[in-house]
Amino acid sequence: MHSVTAIVVAHDGSRWLRDTLRAVLAQTRPVDRGVGVDNGSRDGSRDLLGEAFGKHSVVQMPRGSGFAEAVHEVVRRLPKAPGDTEWIWLIHDDCAPDARALEFLLHAADEYPETAVLGPKLRDWLDRKLLLEVGVTVARSGRRETGLEAREYDQGQHDAEPRGVRDVLAVSSAGMLIRRDVWDEIGGLDARLPLFRDDLDFCWRTRAAGHRVLAVTSAVAWHAEASSKRRRRIAASDDHPRRLARRYSLFVLMANLPFWTMLWSLLRNTVGSLIRTVLFLVAKQPAHAVDELAAIGSVLFHPLRLRRARKARKASRAGYQLVKPMFSPPSLAFRRAWEMVQNQLSGGGPMDSAGRHHAVQQPGAEEGDELLNDDDGFLRRAFASPGVRLFVLLTAVALAAERELLTGGLLGGGALVPVAGGASDLWAFYIGEQAPPYVAVLAVLSTITFGKTWLAVSILLLGCVPLSGLSAYLATKSFVTYRPARVWMAATYALLPVATGVVASGRIGSAVVFILLPVYASLATKVLADTRKPARRAAWGLGLLLAVGTAFAPILYVFVAVLGLLAAVSFGGVRRGVGGNLLIALGAPLILLGPWLATIVQDPMRILREAGLPMTSSPRLAPEALLTLNPGGPGAPPIWATAGLLAVALGALLLRRHQFIVAVGWGVAIVGVLAATVVSRMSTWPGVPLAFAATGLLVSTALAAHRVAEFRKAGGFRKAGAFLIVLVAFATPVAAATLWIMDRADGPLRRDVRSPLPAIAEAQSKPGEGTLLIRTADAGLTYTVLRGRIPVIGESERAAYGSDFTDAVAGLASGRGGSDAAELAGRGIAFVSVPAPIDPALRRALDSEPTMARVTLTDRAGLWRMTGTVTPERPPAGASWHRWWLYGQGALVVIVLILAAPGARTAEPEVVEEIPADRERVAV
Amino acid sequence: MRRLIENRFGMLALVLIALGAVYGVAFVSRPAPAAPVKAEPVRAPIAAVSTVCPDPGGATVTAVTPPNAGGAGQTLIEDGDEPVTVEEPGKLWQKTMAAGTDPMRVHATGAMATGLEAAQTRRALTGAARGLAGVRCVDPGADVWFVGPGPAAGDLKLHLANVESAPADVALVVYSGEGQVIADRASGMLLKPGEHRVVDLKKVAPSPLVMALNVSTGRGRVAAAVEAATSEGVDWLPQTTRPAKRVVVPGLPGSAGRRELYVAAPGESDAVVNVKAVLKDGSYALENRETVEVPAGSVATLDLSTGVTGQPAAIVLTSEIPVVAGLKMVGTGSRTDVAFTAGAPSIDLGSVVADARSTKDVTSRLILSAPDAAADVTVTLLPREGKAPKPIEVAIPAARTKEIILKGPAKGFSVVVTPKTGSGPVYGGRVMEERAPGGQLVTAQPLAVARTWTLVPPVAEEPSAVFAQPS
Repeated sequence: MHSVTAIVVAHDGSRWLRDTLRAVLAQTRPVDRGVGVDNGSRDGSRDLLGEAFGKHSVVQMPRGSGFAEAVHEVVRRLPKAPGDTEWIWLIHDDCAPDARALEFLLHAADEYPETAVLGPKLRDWLDRKLLLEVGVTVARSGRRETGLEAREYDQGQHDAEPRGVRDVLAVSSAGMLIRRDVWDEIGGLDARLPLFRDDLDFCWRTRAAGHRVLAVTSAVAWHAEASSKRRRRIAASDDHPRRLARRYSLFVLMANLPFWTMLWSLLRNTVGSLIRTVLFLVAKQPAHAVDELAAIGSVLFHPLRLRRARKARKASRAGYQLVKPMFSPPSLAFRRAWEMVQNQLSGGGPMDSAGRHHAVQQPGAEEGDELLNDDDGFLRRAFASPGVRLFVLLTAVALAAERELLTGGLLGGGALVPVAGGASDLWAFYIGEQAPPYVAVLAVLSTITFGKTWLAVSILLLGCVPLSGLSAYLATKSFVTYRPARVWMAATYALLPVATGVVASGRIGSAVVFILLPVYASLATKVLADTRKPARRAAWGLGLLLAVGTAFAPILYVFVAVLGLLAAVSFGGVRRGVGGNLLIALGAPLILLGPWLATIVQDPMRILREAGLPMTSSPRLAPEALLTLNPGGPGAPPIWATAGLLAVALGALLLRRHQFIVAVGWGVAIVGVLAATVVSRMSTWPGVPLAFAATGLLVSTALAAHRVAEFRKAGGFRKAGAFLIVLVAFATPVAAATLWIMDRADGPLRRDVRSPLPAIAEAQSKPGEGTLLIRTADAGLTYTVLRGRIPVIGESERAAYGSDFTDAVAGLASGRGGSDAAELAGRGIAFVSVPAPIDPALRRALDSEPTMARVTLTDRAGLWRMTGTVTPERPPAGASWHRWWLYGQGALVVIVLILAAPGARTAEPEVVEEIPADRERVAV
Repeated sequence: MRRLIENRFGMLALVLIALGAVYGVAFVSRPAPAAPVKAEPVRAPIAAVSTVCPDPGGATVTAVTPPNAGGAGQTLIEDGDEPVTVEEPGKLWQKTMAAGTDPMRVHATGAMATGLEAAQTRRALTGAARGLAGVRCVDPGADVWFVGPGPAAGDLKLHLANVESAPADVALVVYSGEGQVIADRASGMLLKPGEHRVVDLKKVAPSPLVMALNVSTGRGRVAAAVEAATSEGVDWLPQTTRPAKRVVVPGLPGSAGRRELYVAAPGESDAVVNVKAVLKDGSYALENRETVEVPAGSVATLDLSTGVTGQPAAIVLTSEIPVVAGLKMVGTGSRTDVAFTAGAPSIDLGSVVADARSTKDVTSRLILSAPDAAADVTVTLLPREGKAPKPIEVAIPAARTKEIILKGPAKGFSVVVTPKTGSGPVYGGRVMEERAPGGQLVTAQPLAVARTWTLVPPVAEEPSAVFAQPS
């Protein structure tokens, strides 16, 4: 005869407790005794327990008690039931057993009398078919392994045949049925493990003592995993459950393994932890990294605690051979790695340890409807998001418009040097000389794209439209809640005339700024509006990204600085810390870009230039073009293309409730257009200020856009009005995309740029020797010097060769004889290359120069060689401080990165679980 | 104000006003359309000149640098083992060389280079080489053209000299009246630095009666000159301009004698060439000889004796297909002498003729043509000895040719021709005639652009030069 005592331990779990208790009391095989333990709940759990078991059957424990402590307390008080096989049934407050669970469990116990511990099959509380565990085992890394795939549905595939039981290493303490004599013999759950891994430890000891632990697949319980999923705050410890879980899993492993195995495992886990720490840091999850270090540290630095625990488990270690076969196979590690990759691709945390139970998931991954998302295919999951759909659509538009730019020779033209060389060339350039800092950014990106600079540049430049669309969509997630408005805003932003102009003229600097601009807006909003720590982190992030953008287009910094000062004036008194945070955001670029900015200060006009070749723009940009956010130049659509956007934005001014915010947006837009006017009149392409202006308009209009939905619901002529507004609003991106595809995106930017350096010159140049490239232009001749290769991006911004050199080139081209050629040779010029069309006068001049010999002359190009001595030009000796500065810069970037990285441990909101109305709870 | 803000349309009105203001700012600040500033080339004095007199043996070599403002400089004349240096501009250096002298290099730097001119003139009264044969000492080049009689008409010698420090490999292309001559020995000639060589063109292409010769180098440069000894007399063929759609052959003197025009179309297409003569009283198409048809790759001959003989002229050829042209003039008398002129550039930057003489028997004529627009030039004589006479101002009306008989010291002089600023393009030639027993001796030389000035193009360092200009 069995006598079962159900022990329900509650801790702030009234949300689930009612269902749990109902389920326990409705068992087909009723429990003999029911005892409730309340660990200091504040939500009325105690009363619920009292209602279920009677006031006298409820034990009150202090709030900080752990699960094991609570159970011990009950078992200590529990009188023996004479004559019966006595069982203890541990029930968590968030674990509702199926009506026949106990019946099946006891049936299994009858079948296998040597069994000491049984557990039901656990399924998810909300997603009732989702399998959580069917018994667990442990990996040698201490990781708790369920042996299940991610989000596996219970279709009986793990139900053990023939009798519905599986021999397992351990079962979860939720629904664990324990023979009381074994409990007493083994010593029960270890109270030093207050929350996690206590079940594993207990079952390990049980197994080692020669008993069987069974998972009974016919018995089912639904478990909410409320503590580990952080659906409630745990009081037993102040630490993050992830750290606790990691620490206790290591601890349990170390406590139970035989000595030598333990030493080996300790070593292995220490190394493993360090690697994981580094990986977490790389993946920008410093909180995870800290947890990882803290967990291994707490095991390593408390040897006495470990020794005590091991002493108590002397007996269990003797039975290690009984336990060993139950460990998870090593092949599982590879599967975990694959899962990680998959997770990353589908937008989860890159290092998310997707364990089912106590491994904690990213808080963001479980928001709202995604919790109930029941399709498991990662592609389908990804494509369900409107952001991804928008990105795919914009990519398709971009590919169609850039069809001429996708394949062929070198990509170049406009402001873009023909993209040659690899990441190593960029790095060498950046480290060797005082290169502009954006070279480092491109070098990093090229390194990521397998060292292929052209790929990185193509992604940034040709992918400017989809990337900016995506960034606009994602960055406004926090403040534009109405999703169709967000889609509209992102699509319109991505297809602004600025974007198509950026692509057509190869302005990679503006492209980067254009992609980052929505991120700036989002981070700036956080800096101004968020609570202290997130605001501080956003400030660091803004500072870092601002440094990146400033490196590509210095003019950006001026705008942000002006807007930042305005913000400091208007918000400084209202919110504490705003001034400091703005100082961080605006100061970080100054520090990160230090020496380079100093060179700009010396030559202030350079602030108007952006990354790449200098490319002037007409100062006669029409006023109506400026007002319609059209920067002119190659790739700019007709000015009516943005009419829809302007009409909608003007119309939004009529919405009384949003008048203020829309007016602010218009304010930003007008300031931006004014700045664009100033910049444009200085012969600079006004892309960046117009992008600012457009951002202001778009965000403010999108904020008011949910009113359209209200109109639509209102029906009648308002519904027609709403339809009209949507039509006008979407006309802008649709027209822009259509025009772009029709006009094609090949402005000056081309894909078939021939290498400007003749192959002979490239092959025969010694280090330090250069090739003088002279080209006949409209107004005379232009020249540049190629140093043995096509210049990498950024090299064109080096110090010019100076007027002496230019005079020598002019003299050479005039054919006046004299020492011009010798002078050029003395500056390292070994070859003179003249591409077609070759001016006859120039050809004659070069031909008649005694110290030069013609190498080739065809219709397409001519090449001459210096016959005299060529003095190779020494690379400019880098200042001695330069290298130290690079180290410092690298260190500063790392520091800012860490300061900006999201620390997951503070101020994480508890996720409030919503029970969806359309899902019927399974009656218990 | 408050009412304005509270009004539903108030904000819209404010924004529209602001937009209007922005429009106004943008409109007012819009600069007027600026005409593209086209940087003009700058004139710069030539700083170094190297020229080669191809066969000075037995000839009088003259070298001169016109007076200039320039500073220091020197001319180095490699006269055998004892190089002569001249450091004084305006001074004429003249010497009759011993027979069999190697090609002479005249090299000038600094101020002495600006305008340096050298020429050789050989005078023989007897023998096969009877006649006046003069040639302007040549610049080493990579691609030069000659047009004149062919090896079948006489003894044609190509003088090649490599005075550079790099080897030169030379290729010859000969065009005859029947088309391009395919010759085995025309290419693969390699001249080491310092080497000179005389090529008998008969051995390259024996058959052409008239020819156009293109001497080009694959690498390096060579100084090339062609000496023609025909039954009608001897002289050097001047270098002609490269194939062009408009060729001006200047320098036909107002003396008697036969004139024969050679036009070659070295390209792939047949050319129909319009011929016009620019004469003393205007520019005419010659009767019945308005056009000459030149089959592709061949040389056509056109007798111009009736029509231009006896009056100073320049011949202007225009064609859709690039052509090269040369002209033979034959002196009078029972034993004739020939002289050649050829297509020449306009002397916008001035021209210098090293050698001219004026005695009882010798007449030097300067023929100047302005086929396009009226031109004013200054003609200055630089005598070998004595004081320089006053410069002569010459005004040439548009589409006219003027002949000036140069009267100067008997010992010889140089001539500097300088167009005034604003004058139209001027083409010219110098012809020297000597009355001699048995028949007139004659030599001619089209005016070449002086090595005084060069146009320094505006040059800018421009990293975007890596790209082809957008077409």
